[in-house]
Amino acid sequence: MLQDVKRLKNSLLPGGFVSLLLLGFAFVLFFTLFLSQDDASVAQLDSRVFSLLKFTLYQAFLSTLLSLLVGLALAWSLAHQSNFKGRSLLVALFSSSLVLPTLIVVFGLISVLGRNGWVNQLSLYLFDHSFGSYLYGLTGILVAHVYLNASFASRSLLHVFESIPKEKYKLAKSLNFTAFQRFIYVEWPALRTTLLSIASTIFLLCFTSFAIVLVLGGSPAYNTLEVAIYEAVKLEFDIAMALKLALIQLVMTTLLVLFSSNFRTSVGNVRTSALYIPWSETKYVKRFQVAIIGLFSLFFILPLLAIIVDGLGAEFTRILTEPLFIKSFFTSIGLATVSSILTVLFAIFLSDTKRNFILGHRLPSNTFSKVLNTIVSFSGNLYLAVPSLIMGLGFFLLSQTYEAPIAVWSTIALLTANVLMSLPFALAILAPVMQKTGQRYDKLVFSLNLSSLQRWVYCEYPYLKSSIGYVFALSFCFSLGDLGIIALFGSDDFLTLPWYLYQLMGSYRTSDAAGVALILLAITLCVFILLPRLFRSSVAKDN
Amino acid sequence: MMFNPIRTLFLILLFSIASFASDTRPTLTIYTYDAFAVSWGPGPKIKEAFEKEYDCNVKFVGLSSSIGALRKIQLEGKNTKADILLGLDTNIAQAANKTGLFAKHDLNTSNLDLPVPYTDEYFVPYDYSYVAFVYNENKVKNPPTSFEALAAMPEDFKIVIQDPRSSTPGLSLLLWVKEIYKEKAGEYWKRLSPHILTITKGWSESYGLFLKGEADMVLSYTTSPAYHIIEENRTNFKSARFNEGHYGQIEVAAMLNSSKHKDLAKKFLQFMHSETFAEIIPTANWAYPVVKTKEGLPKVFETLTQPSKMILLDGKTVEAHRKEIINEWLRALER
Repeated sequence: MLQDVKRLKNSLLPGGFVSLLLLGFAFVLFFTLFLSQDDASVAQLDSRVFSLLKFTLYQAFLSTLLSLLVGLALAWSLAHQSNFKGRSLLVALFSSSLVLPTLIVVFGLISVLGRNGWVNQLSLYLFDHSFGSYLYGLTGILVAHVYLNASFASRSLLHVFESIPKEKYKLAKSLNFTAFQRFIYVEWPALRTTLLSIASTIFLLCFTSFAIVLVLGGSPAYNTLEVAIYEAVKLEFDIAMALKLALIQLVMTTLLVLFSSNFRTSVGNVRTSALYIPWSETKYVKRFQVAIIGLFSLFFILPLLAIIVDGLGAEFTRILTEPLFIKSFFTSIGLATVSSILTVLFAIFLSDTKRNFILGHRLPSNTFSKVLNTIVSFSGNLYLAVPSLIMGLGFFLLSQTYEAPIAVWSTIALLTANVLMSLPFALAILAPVMQKTGQRYDKLVFSLNLSSLQRWVYCEYPYLKSSIGYVFALSFCFSLGDLGIIALFGSDDFLTLPWYLYQLMGSYRTSDAAGVALILLAITLCVFILLPRLFRSSVAKDN
Repeated sequence: MMFNPIRTLFLILLFSIASFASDTRPTLTIYTYDAFAVSWGPGPKIKEAFEKEYDCNVKFVGLSSSIGALRKIQLEGKNTKADILLGLDTNIAQAANKTGLFAKHDLNTSNLDLPVPYTDEYFVPYDYSYVAFVYNENKVKNPPTSFEALAAMPEDFKIVIQDPRSSTPGLSLLLWVKEIYKEKAGEYWKRLSPHILTITKGWSESYGLFLKGEADMVLSYTTSPAYHIIEENRTNFKSARFNEGHYGQIEVAAMLNSSKHKDLAKKFLQFMHSETFAEIIPTANWAYPVVKTKEGLPKVFETLTQPSKMILLDGKTVEAHRKEIINEWLRALER
């Protein structure tokens, strides 16, 4: 055993170090939070806290349910309508919802569904009837959550549909099943487990939703715990209250993460394989499926179109020369670059270490290595249990204790949050691929006695290249679009593009906001589409 | 590139040295709400006038709301760059005072042209107005004339208001309702809540939503319509006159204990009572100045809603009950 460890030290140590660093960070964070609460302030839970918790759970439950229903219907329709034009484009577009900045989505939704939005204007023009304002409050929150999560869910579910053995379909067809029977007996059993893990992920995302609730909630009645923490710090400077809420939030998210215990929502498989299901639908089922695809596509594309249309009318010469824009642009790009590089490095180190504990020929598999594997995985998935506002609060308290320019603290806080936010996704994508290369090349590498560097250059990189490109793009976009910690630390001296956009939206400079929204959308989509292309590799097609 | 704190510190140092070298005049930094600081607000005009009179730079930093500006100062503590906080009102000034961050002004404020007598050792008033709901006459034919009428409007009649925890007009509305409904205030808020489209952090955001047509009425001031008349030549914006009287808002400013330019800061507070300042206020901040000018107010101001009386609670009373009034409001809005 010791011999093995010695031989593998180059593979074990970097990941172990990163893992320790992450856990150490978590420890400091918790320590700070617990130290900062004074006994007097944590009074008994008042009714306000309960109603916050109640609403947070309620909206997360509804959001999850709706997202799953819509996502399932969409995936089912897409799976059975595999031969229309533009399908792969649509699917690729839906998968971009993962990286769309939430604030952009909110902006687009207001343009389309707001009181003066496209839908109401059209309805006024055609029928002289306005649906009024419905986008603020619970409806708005649900609509935005479904927008982001249903498309995300449909992507993973479509993959399940397509991986159902075709023989099963053939058998079902020979038994003369209806579409409904087919769903119940053939498709549902395959979907069930994936559905459960997607549900837990969406629930967690909605439970800690911040930007959407902040902008569309519109009233303290629709606050989630996350927003309430923000308000306690920023509106009331009531740190004791913020801490109390943060601790409740931490307990809840930890329970949720433990309960769901897995984060395998196959974010790695974004490319659809478009395997044809050997079953042509009856006329009515087909119409139904086409209607679902059409409606959801409209729902998904119109807000993006609205951003483009509104944005093109903006005065770009003025926006681009605005000092605050320039500052936020460079801060955002800088932070996104640094944090995506760090994410890729951390994820590679962690996956490298992880495979030692999984592959039996590297280290003997026993309880010890299982525990270590869990610890390493846990350190990478830390962020799931620690929402960004709590992390922000931790950093905020640290910044109050240890004096340094606020810009320094803000940079550290944002970088940490961005890296932690992307790590779970990065790990989910890179770890399986690295495990595979381990299986494939270990014997060869060990027998040729290649150094770590040689191994990396000749074996790992060619296979990992495309996955790395995807992780890079993903974490870059996550970082670029995040409106979490920056909401606590943002100021005119230190701001990112989403924060700047939030400020513009808040000061009724609608045309400038539209311009900035378009710029942010353009950067996000460009990075998300182009970066993986740069890393495309011929070897790694099958990953 | 790894983040390097030492290099960042060095760069910051370098930049600050460079900026010192290029300009030896002191810079007076004033934190305020964004509508005051923006290019079309009073900020730039006041900056120009003050810089001409006293050899210095004035830097307005606009935050989403004035209470937001106060919170920023609290977050920054003694390291704050602010010399002056401008834009709080008498309702929240006591809360600000409790932080111990502000310095006494030593000015005589007893001769000011205010509807109520004013004495406060820390905060200096610079303008006042009345909180009111503003609507578009072309769209709202029968504006409400009281809080009862407001609650009785049809279901789809929507208003935007501001969060009393972050915005001074928002807090004023809360106190206005409290003063009229006393212990039934919570019950009134429950009745009003279906009409509340959204609650924004600051005034600008609300007003923006209203102008975009998202709501029928917005919580603003009796003097807001003057803006549309003078700047845009539009007379269709009015403020609803409520029979119960209107809550008054006296906006104040104070200098910080940690300020490195206290003399200059005091000169600025004094300057707020000059005729130059008073002439800028009505047509830039759209409120009544606290000193009379030779020219008097612009004619348009005569057409504005004149409240039957000014309701204004004493700052100390407000501070004693603020938290419980806000909690009552929060509970009333729960569903």
